[in-house]
Amino acid sequence: MTGRPLLAGGPTQAATRQLDGGPLLEVTDLVTHFRTPRGLVRSVDGVSFTLDRGKALGIVGESGSGKTVLSRSIMGLLPKLNTERSGSVLFEGREIVDLPLKERRRIWGAEMSMIFQDPMTSLNPVMRIGKQIGESLRLHLGLSRRAARETALRLLQDVRIPEPHKRLDQYAFELSGGMRQRVMIALAMACGPTLLFADEPTTALDVTVQAQILELIGLQRTERNMSVILVTHDLGVVAGHTDEIMVMYAGRLVEKAPTKVLFANMKMPYTEALLHSIPKIDDPSHTRLNVIPGRPPDLVNPPAGCSFSPRCSFAQDRCRQEAPPLITAEHPEHVYACWYPVGSPHHRARSAELAAAAEGLVARWREPARPTCAPTATRFCVSKTW
Amino acid sequence: MSSTDVPVIDDPDAPEVPLAALPTKKVKVRRRGRVAKWLAIAWLVFMTVSAIGANSLPYIPHECSGSTSTCSTAIKGDILTKRELPPSWAFWVDPVNPVLPGKPTHHGLMGTDSNGRDIFARAMLGARNSLIIAGLAITIGLAFGTLLGMVAGYFRGWADTVIENLTNVMLAFPPLLLTIFVVTFFNKPDTAEAAQRPLWPIILALVVLSIPPLTRLVRANTIAYAQRDFVTAARSLGAKRGRILFREILPNIVPTLVSFALTGMALLIIAEGGLAFLGQSVELPIPTWGKMIAEGKEKLRAGAWWISLMPAATMFLTLLSINMLGDVLSQRFNTREAIA
Repeated sequence: MTGRPLLAGGPTQAATRQLDGGPLLEVTDLVTHFRTPRGLVRSVDGVSFTLDRGKALGIVGESGSGKTVLSRSIMGLLPKLNTERSGSVLFEGREIVDLPLKERRRIWGAEMSMIFQDPMTSLNPVMRIGKQIGESLRLHLGLSRRAARETALRLLQDVRIPEPHKRLDQYAFELSGGMRQRVMIALAMACGPTLLFADEPTTALDVTVQAQILELIGLQRTERNMSVILVTHDLGVVAGHTDEIMVMYAGRLVEKAPTKVLFANMKMPYTEALLHSIPKIDDPSHTRLNVIPGRPPDLVNPPAGCSFSPRCSFAQDRCRQEAPPLITAEHPEHVYACWYPVGSPHHRARSAELAAAAEGLVARWREPARPTCAPTATRFCVSKTW
Repeated sequence: MSSTDVPVIDDPDAPEVPLAALPTKKVKVRRRGRVAKWLAIAWLVFMTVSAIGANSLPYIPHECSGSTSTCSTAIKGDILTKRELPPSWAFWVDPVNPVLPGKPTHHGLMGTDSNGRDIFARAMLGARNSLIIAGLAITIGLAFGTLLGMVAGYFRGWADTVIENLTNVMLAFPPLLLTIFVVTFFNKPDTAEAAQRPLWPIILALVVLSIPPLTRLVRANTIAYAQRDFVTAARSLGAKRGRILFREILPNIVPTLVSFALTGMALLIIAEGGLAFLGQSVELPIPTWGKMIAEGKEKLRAGAWWISLMPAATMFLTLLSINMLGDVLSQRFNTREAIA
């Protein structure tokens, strides 16, 4: 146990740490490429950002946009074999990219930890809950078996699990999905980390439980003064639970802004498209979802120019040839990478054009569909166009 | 979010399901093969007890206990030697008994062999060697196989390449040939005195035989579990490699291993029997089943079927029981996996 001073000692130490200023996490030009038989997969391609203590950052993007790899790369959890990693990650002012495994292990769990997407698979099926939580307490804080068990119980109470006493001796399969995710949160927070990665923590859960879990993470963040990086594909999830949002596309940062600024004034057509793809409750039934056409780009052969250009309704020749740099918007903390951002004259003209076309399409599409079946009193109507 | 958009398939043939409370019935859960399971366990317990306590158990004739190789049976004061007596229940066999003229004799549960030794007693004693050999071999094999398999499956890279190729080479060897090689290599001809051949060459041979398949099994399972999120989660909490291997991955493999090891043990008993049949196994005063079967083969034509058949039946029942126990265990563990 040589790493004593490094270990976090819960909220008090976290609070003293806040005094020494500077961002908690400073990522500069982080690159993570994987060597595969098909070629180099550019999962994370030069991402830079900073995260202050106690703040929540949302990383948003489609599947395959590199958000999970980014969070694992920051933590250093990726296998070394066939991975190329460069750039700099300063954690509390300390470079952690090329830290030897032994040093990294001391940070993992104690300083930064992670919650995974699927609570069904992220808990060991043959280890009792209490023991699983206790393991890292004993490892990092050197607690005795009994103290670890007591702390585990307190953690279970913290994450609002009903009947925490009973849970200590249960196995993961005896718990529901939501409870498992709570256990996972307790596990991740056991040693009082200052940075918590939540990798799509609600994707595998029911909508009703999703809100509770997000509330819980938010609550623990303020109670423990943790920073949280919330990785998700759902703009709705990050909207209420983050201070800042970072939108990723094809391994690159394409827009980043404080949450309120982003929703009020998004610049990147991709962000806008993501937002439009969320169904709205007040839309009439049978409204088509606004999907983003096409698929995320192949990260082995990313398209020339702006990587979103092949799918962008507003793309011009320039977009297909020149990759846009990160431009600062009116708000100083708002950056985006787009030649023709939302609100620019070109964008406005093109969206008017698109709206007119869509109007015609919808009219043509709806007309014959209506009379094919009439809703009965008990059953919903299924139109042929579904 | 938009629950109103969810389409409901309009199927006119769908039966109307009354939502009123269905009558609750007490459900009887039936389990298959329960009796067989307990019979198998009982047989194994009986064999183990006999193997350990053969020297003092009342149902084994005393002449056989200890290290004497004669094990002859005393009937009414006369020593029966060099005569095969049928089992006492084999009423259809006409016993020829020149020692006690005029008095046809059957003997014991399993009859006697061509030296007049009680086969039941020898079969119980044979359990000792057979179980010790197979049990030790599978245990050692498990230890090595698990270690190699986990190293190969978790660390991959060059260690995996080396171990995987070695395993393939070993599996390509004809197993019987391999064991005969090992046994004859370690049993030097000059020390091959009947009573001095030790147990360990045959155990070594069987260990060599059992390591490759176990390594493969463990490797495959380790690879599967190493990619599960809970291993990454343990890593992300700072767990060390040894802890991940032995605390996170190993307990998940153990159920599979246990049931496989039991099947493996049954196979090793057969292998040992095969070796003994070929005269390559231990030469100790206490017999093994394979050797007893081998000894009886010359008398099969003469009609003394029990000499080979009785040890074979004992072996068969033991193997069957072990396999059934393996089944029971794997089923038990599987249910938990299914819930999880």
